Amino acid sequence: MTTTPAASPAKGKLSAGAGIKRIDYQEYALVGVIVLLLVAGGILEGSSFLSKDNLFNVLRQGSVVGVLAIGMTFVIATAGIDLSVGSMVAATGIAGGWLMEHFGAFESAPSLSFIIGALLLGVLLGAVNGAAVSYGKVVPFIATLAMLLIARGLALWISDKTPISLFDLETLRWFGTGEVLTIPSSLIVFLGVAAVGWVLLNRTPYGRYVVAVGGNPEAARIAGVKTNRILFSVYVLSGICAGIAAILLCGRLASASPVAGQLYELDAIAAVVIGGTSLAGGRATVVGTVLGVITFAIVFNLLTLMDLAVEIQQITKGGIILAAVLLQRRSN
Amino acid sequence: MEFKKVVPVLCAGVALGLGVVACGGSSDKDNAGTPAATATSAATEDTAAQASDVKVAFSAPAADHGWTKAVSDDAKAKAKELGLDMTVNDSATTPAEQADQIETLIQAKPDVLVVLPVDGAPLTPVAQKAMDQGIQVINIDREFSSPSAFHTVIGGDNYGIGVQAGDYFADQLKCKGNVVEIQGIAGISVTEQRTKGFADEIKKRCNGGIKIVAQQPADFAPDKGLSVMENILQKNKSIQAVYTHDDDMGEGVAAAIQNAGRDKEMWMTGAGGSKKVMDQIKKGGLWRATFLYNPAMSADAVYLATLLGSGKGLPGFAAPDIPSRITLAATTVTKDNVAQYEHLGF
Repeated sequence: MTTTPAASPAKGKLSAGAGIKRIDYQEYALVGVIVLLLVAGGILEGSSFLSKDNLFNVLRQGSVVGVLAIGMTFVIATAGIDLSVGSMVAATGIAGGWLMEHFGAFESAPSLSFIIGALLLGVLLGAVNGAAVSYGKVVPFIATLAMLLIARGLALWISDKTPISLFDLETLRWFGTGEVLTIPSSLIVFLGVAAVGWVLLNRTPYGRYVVAVGGNPEAARIAGVKTNRILFSVYVLSGICAGIAAILLCGRLASASPVAGQLYELDAIAAVVIGGTSLAGGRATVVGTVLGVITFAIVFNLLTLMDLAVEIQQITKGGIILAAVLLQRRSN
Repeated sequence: MEFKKVVPVLCAGVALGLGVVACGGSSDKDNAGTPAATATSAATEDTAAQASDVKVAFSAPAADHGWTKAVSDDAKAKAKELGLDMTVNDSATTPAEQADQIETLIQAKPDVLVVLPVDGAPLTPVAQKAMDQGIQVINIDREFSSPSAFHTVIGGDNYGIGVQAGDYFADQLKCKGNVVEIQGIAGISVTEQRTKGFADEIKKRCNGGIKIVAQQPADFAPDKGLSVMENILQKNKSIQAVYTHDDDMGEGVAAAIQNAGRDKEMWMTGAGGSKKVMDQIKKGGLWRATFLYNPAMSADAVYLATLLGSGKGLPGFAAPDIPSRITLAATTVTKDNVAQYEHLGF
């Protein structure tokens, strides 16, 4: 009885060590993929692709899904999944717009009330996901699928199915379109979130617990990790990230749309997985996720620049995903 | 332990609460508008439509887009105005779901079934079933694949939107310039028709003088329109005009152009006829025109249903039966005539 749990943490530690080495290779492989894409783009589209303006445009666009993907990395590290992030982007954006319109107290700072509204609803919806998964013992796929519907419904209901204009919110629009020393503010926010994520995951006990819960929940529990609390927290993190993503998106769009964010969950999940985080849990890399996000953003940009027909774009995109993953496998 | 029991109950409670509040909210609003509406209708509607004993069932896709929401709202408002007993189902997101809902609706044996299908072909069998049972079907917009599955089809003119847009672009650009086209969802007839009508017309009018430098779908979604247009702006340094397939999506495209500070370089058009876009057209600037695809066609369909249910033809028409096909014109709305069409905005 007592030997099994004693043995498994040791085993877990061992495989975690091997995992870190493998992840490093995967990150190099993705850097290779990105370089290949940059070279291909330079040959095919020349200066319109490689201009500083366009490359920052790529990174600005990638920032929205990028922030979602950082939250998703934590969720997937616990062997979970969050299908609701796309809908939560719409719902939190609408919540921000609603608070901005309805709260007289914040009239002097409408952007601030938008940001508060978006983050608050993000925390709330994330907490519902987290409670359902951890304490309610609902399978993450189903719990967050339910939230995908609930959040989209909330967005449509609160907005009465019409977009809310945010044209006059200068500060909010700065998050979407502004620059600091020519670097897009969206990108700075994304890299900031990624940096916090990296520190949390790699330099704090919390990060170790998240990975432990995903790798072997039984062993983690016996080792004294409060697994329910950890599970709950990663979904809240994902909800907060949805709120931040909504701030970036709505700032760029100059409006909050109840139909925004469709299928962002798949983009985020794909970026996380292509980056090397294991869908089975227990292995996670924030740097890999950032590289995965950049890979997808470049592919989307390049395909639109080439003005390919949509069917060719989809086949190409699918092919690139498959090739990128195969390339990683080979380099292991 | 207790949490396990509490959470589902709590969720169910919240869900129920939302439902009740949502229903309560909308009926309050409707009631507020009714007395005035009935009063005017009694005066203006001809006697043909005073048939409140006609039982109508209405089915439409989930009202989650400006246009589909307006379709549902307009139909409901018309039924209220006519004092009609109309059962409404507008929550389906897939053809299968809508087919199930229609199955349930026809159990109640309505006289007329009014349907805006999620997609025409997959809902043809259930519409055919209704017709076979003696329930008359009025088909809105997306046509069923068999003419025996409906009595009348009423819809907008997607090819016509393309043609009107083509004419407008040819006139405004004097057949010269670079044009970007932002399409709807790839692979559905709405998108194909709006694309084809535009391409055919500018070819006929300008024979290659207008160049479509980029043509990409953005799925009728504003955020997709934003990202796609941002990329297109990177590649194309000289654009004179942008043809978009939808007003809501167009707002994302407009944001991309404004963020890039290029709103003096080009102008754009939409399709549908939303209030917001009509306001922008009135103000002048980036938005120059939109092409009507009026959701009020659902109100017309409900009106036709009352005629059909009481066995009357279109007032003023010689035929004793209502026409089997009505196609509404895709009117071009610009700054010059926007005042005339503003009330139709959704």
